[in-house]
Amino acid sequence: MGESERPGITRRSAVVGAGAAAVVLGLGGFRFLPTEPTLRPPGGQATDQVVSACIRCEKCYEICPREVIVPSHIEAGILNMRTPTLDFSGDYCDWCGEANNGDPLCDKVCPTLALRLPEGASAKNTIIGVAELYTTWCLAYKLIGCRFCYDACPYEAMELDGNNRPYVLNDRCNGCGACESVCVSLQSGSIAEGADERAIIVRPLRQDGSVLYRWKPS
Amino acid sequence: MRIASLRVLVALAVIALITIGFVTNIGIGTLSSFGWSDISILCPLGALTTMLGAKILVPRALIALVIVVILIVLVGRAFCSWVCPVPLLQKLRAVFRKDSKLTTPDEESTVGTGDTDTTATCRSAASLKTQSTAPPRVAGKAEKASLCHSNGDASNCSSCAQKRGTLDPRHFVLGGSLLSAALFGFPVFCLICPIGLSFAAILLVVRLFSEGDLTWSIVIVLLLLTVEVLIFRKWCSQICPLSAFMSLLAKVNRTFRPAINKATCLETAKGIDCGLCAKACPEDIDPRHPKRSYAPMSECTKCLECAKACPTKALRLPFLPGSRANGAGSDDSGGLGGSGGPNTSEQERAA
Ligand code: SF4
Ligand code: SF4
Ligand code: SF4
Ligand code: SF4
Ligand code: SF4
Repeated sequence: MGESERPGITRRSAVVGAGAAAVVLGLGGFRFLPTEPTLRPPGGQATDQVVSACIRCEKCYEICPREVIVPSHIEAGILNMRTPTLDFSGDYCDWCGEANNGDPLCDKVCPTLALRLPEGASAKNTIIGVAELYTTWCLAYKLIGCRFCYDACPYEAMELDGNNRPYVLNDRCNGCGACESVCVSLQSGSIAEGADERAIIVRPLRQDGSVLYRWKPS
Repeated sequence: MRIASLRVLVALAVIALITIGFVTNIGIGTLSSFGWSDISILCPLGALTTMLGAKILVPRALIALVIVVILIVLVGRAFCSWVCPVPLLQKLRAVFRKDSKLTTPDEESTVGTGDTDTTATCRSAASLKTQSTAPPRVAGKAEKASLCHSNGDASNCSSCAQKRGTLDPRHFVLGGSLLSAALFGFPVFCLICPIGLSFAAILLVVRLFSEGDLTWSIVIVLLLLTVEVLIFRKWCSQICPLSAFMSLLAKVNRTFRPAINKATCLETAKGIDCGLCAKACPEDIDPRHPKRSYAPMSECTKCLECAKACPTKALRLPFLPGSRANGAGSDDSGGLGGSGGPNTSEQERAA
């Protein structure tokens, strides 16, 4: 009755094991489901990088000094679930300018390089997304005279037209979310009717570099 | 304090620390990457699958992997009984079962009829040491009962030769996880890892109450956790790929292994078939007789239940094997086999 009698593997184990391994392999098939382009913290913009490397450790959400990193939900796709995305309802991403001299902390703590900026990338030459203003819901376009977003933009990416209505200069916008974080459109009942989002929203880039529009801009 | 409560406290403290991390900006991370700011110990499976998935070498992941391997060599599967949140959740299962079992006949009696004299010897050993040191846990498995008996006939002995294989489903899941990550290009197992899901559940609930963030993710996460932890009863011993990883490396673990002082162990000192340590072990290891133990010593989670169960305190888990205070280790290599110890006499009797 020595150690040598320990069986290598029992038949039952082999069958159960093969089945379980097949399930794990099958889960890999989720890769082929379509996933929505998602807004990512700085350094997560490269195609598929976050999905390929992120172990859903939740470290980046925690470290963000402005608390704009939140877990993606299942609604954004099974593969995206629990990976980092940005929520600008309360604050915006300043590339950690205030907290870490412009060196994104989320990239610094990510242990897997799922978030990783290319060499020399900075807020000046890299964008997170692009802001889109929906004139249907923007108070200024109802001539109410709102310009919170214009005043908030740290990149001078917004201008006012002849009627003092703000619009976005796409090529200067960083996607930082400052405009979205201050937009008050949802708080004004009658105009916001039917709106489920603020009148200015940062959208992720498509993989071909163009902006993902939810509605066709007029 | 009971050792089991101490383990629960430690695991709860880890959860509390991580939850504090969620509501601050220190960057403690979760058990998937536990640490401080940019210093973290990665989950070894996460480190491997992220590199296989993204097809890049990540220096930090490699360093973490080396540290984790060293830790496992030092403490084996201690993570499982002291840190992992899954066994805590599994305790909930016991709560549910207790309620539903009230009407059904006691499990213990069915085991007793199967192998009467075995349990009898075990009981006598237990009663011998007055206070019933025998843990109140139910000896539900047949293997467990067979561990106790030593002088059965040949047919009984073939049943006690039924041992846990060197490889089991866990190792397939481990292999499948690595292969799947390499093939499909993302850390596939992370989607369903109950450890990750436990912390995701805490985070989502925190967010639900602090931000009003309502999402189907909560339902999915809780559902997966329920299935894995409450319904798959043998997750830890049959499926968990981390457990597989740790037990493979723990084969070279020599520190903190159960060691028995032959001068005080009831079996060697008084010739009594005690077996209480084997009975206490949640991993079905027989620390007294590692050679005929159902599970190999590499499954030991350093939970200390065996040491606690020993009526004469002959069993300890010393840092180094064979430390002088212990007289003899219970190691496979120890003096048991050679010097006419109980093992030899049993083998003779069995033959
Ligand atoms: S760069 Fe800083 S502020 Fe922006 S998302 Fe990352 S951690 Fe948050
Ligand atoms: S820190 Fe990196 S690995 Fe962890 S959740 Fe964020 S992106 Fe994923
Ligand atoms: S337009 Fe909005 S998102 Fe774009 S840079 Fe200005 S504030 Fe940031
Ligand atoms: S076997 Fe896996 S799930 Fe169970 S306690 Fe160990 S690490 Fe946790
Ligand atoms: S041998 Fe002892 S310490 Fe190891 S798992 Fe069994 S009871 Fe726990």
